[in-house]
Amino acid sequence: MKEKLKQLSDYEWELAKDVREEMRVKAKIIANKQIIDTAEDTAVQQLTNVACLPGIVEPVIGMPDIHWGYGLPMGAVGAFDAEEGVISSGCTGFDINCGINLIRTNLTVSEVRPKLRQLMNELFSRVPCGVGSKGKLRVSEAELNEILVRGVDWAIEKGYGTQEDKEATEEKGCMQEADPSKVSSLAKRRGAPQLGTLGAGNHFLEIQQVNKIFDKERVKHYGIEKEGQVTVMLHCGSRGLGHQVATDYLHVHEKAAKKYNIKLPDPQLVCAPVKSKEGQDYFAAMKCAVNYAFTNRLVMTHWVREAFESVFKQKWEKLDMHTIYSLCHNICKKEEHFLPGTNKKKMLYVHRKGATRSFPNTPVLIAGTMGTASYLLEGTEKAMKETFGSTCHGSGRTMSRHAALRIKRGEAVKRELEEKGEIIVSPGFKGLAEEMPQAYKDVDAVVDSVAGAGISKKIARFTPLGVAKG
Amino acid sequence: MKYKFIKDLTSDVAFEVYGKNKEELFENSALALFDIICEIKKVRQEKEKNFVIEAEGLEDLLVRWLEALIASVDIDELFFSKFEVKIEKNKKYKLEAKAFGEPTSTEKSGTVVKGITRYKFKLEKTKKGYKARICCDI
Repeated sequence: MKEKLKQLSDYEWELAKDVREEMRVKAKIIANKQIIDTAEDTAVQQLTNVACLPGIVEPVIGMPDIHWGYGLPMGAVGAFDAEEGVISSGCTGFDINCGINLIRTNLTVSEVRPKLRQLMNELFSRVPCGVGSKGKLRVSEAELNEILVRGVDWAIEKGYGTQEDKEATEEKGCMQEADPSKVSSLAKRRGAPQLGTLGAGNHFLEIQQVNKIFDKERVKHYGIEKEGQVTVMLHCGSRGLGHQVATDYLHVHEKAAKKYNIKLPDPQLVCAPVKSKEGQDYFAAMKCAVNYAFTNRLVMTHWVREAFESVFKQKWEKLDMHTIYSLCHNICKKEEHFLPGTNKKKMLYVHRKGATRSFPNTPVLIAGTMGTASYLLEGTEKAMKETFGSTCHGSGRTMSRHAALRIKRGEAVKRELEEKGEIIVSPGFKGLAEEMPQAYKDVDAVVDSVAGAGISKKIARFTPLGVAKG
Repeated sequence: MKYKFIKDLTSDVAFEVYGKNKEELFENSALALFDIICEIKKVRQEKEKNFVIEAEGLEDLLVRWLEALIASVDIDELFFSKFEVKIEKNKKYKLEAKAFGEPTSTEKSGTVVKGITRYKFKLEKTKKGYKARICCDI
């Protein structure tokens, strides 16, 4: 399919509607040539699958971090008409509200480095990581239902965050009209013991330094003053609760697709009409998982602050440990957007899978890998007009987990990164090998692509000092 | 061979699994799943958990069996390393199984499996018994 891509500019590529008979709309990819040359053809094919679904709005968008994913590729956006379209648990995928929190400090690298190992050990002991890790909080069913409805407000009332954290969170940490009665008891039983846990896989907790400032004026708005300033990045999602919501509604939407005679170009793209009970039940349940994930990351933020307080013997407020921003990059949201290439606006269900909201003057956080950079960007007007207010989310894998395991052992990955000055803490080594930096695309090329295409602008770049991985 | 991992996906993990009958196919599928979730060879069989699952078709039964095991890691906080499966078919397929393992621990943790996908999912009868292809979302 890749050979059918037509280059529009240095960073924009198009797949015409006629490359495949069933396509209702064209697809577009934002990426430089180097990324296109190495992109998986199967991921490009997946964009064309989504372009065949009813009510899809032109275009289906692939971001430069695109790679094969469940149904919709990772690093992609599919927007559907809010009247005639579908809502798809297959497009949103398993890790609902997988996202990132960025927290600043007023500490510098020279102040943190001498205590870095102690700090990483403190973080690792306070923030449970790994498959077998158990949360320190055990919430009752009533409390869990409250979390699913109220999101971070619950955490703030319990002393795990502040109003300021809430203001610095997408959706203010709570999607409205979440309905816990649409979430199975199995999902709730999975979520109850896991609040405040990191999990495993590509999720991480990272101590970083500001490595480069691109926009000296805008960066001040986020409390970043100089290169060498230390920040903390947290990457995690809705844990077992969100995975179970996805699992439950994939079954519901599989039946719904048959019931409503929706022809699926790929069985993974199960969905239901937006106005159907199956569609709206999923939307209400998905919002619960979104609210759980916002709360999960804020509770962990609290423990990160406690770890810093313990090591640096100062209150977190004195260390200026405020949330720069908290956002999601796996979600479906009802938003009004310009139909790209027109001045006409329409209400849409925007599925962002490994894609981030990119609204003007609003932060965008891009996670790198253990050995590479992460970014603070801002959205743009061009993103509002051309990509449904969306941009990329991270590096994007280029190598399978098993290929990574064959290349290098986790012990070697840890040793190599530590020789470069990073400190890595992890319960095991297998996950480290699977997540080695070489298994991912060049994050700088990914960010250059979205900046070059004008859908985000660079504010600051961060590099890791210490990484805790599950 | 009970199962083998397939080089196919960049972000997820796929495996092909074999069994001389349906029961063995389901047992070996569970072993492959826990080979991803934990260091299965180190997991002792000191706890037991029972499962009863029903489904219209055998493919759906396999998916739901693996989904139930994934959920059990979170709810029962157990890693499993041995399985005994019985399958009956009346109007529906019915699975009754025992899973043996030990409490979850970070020392033996592997990767979180978020779900069982429909990507190239296949269950087929072969000359030697049964074969399935399963892809896990990581």
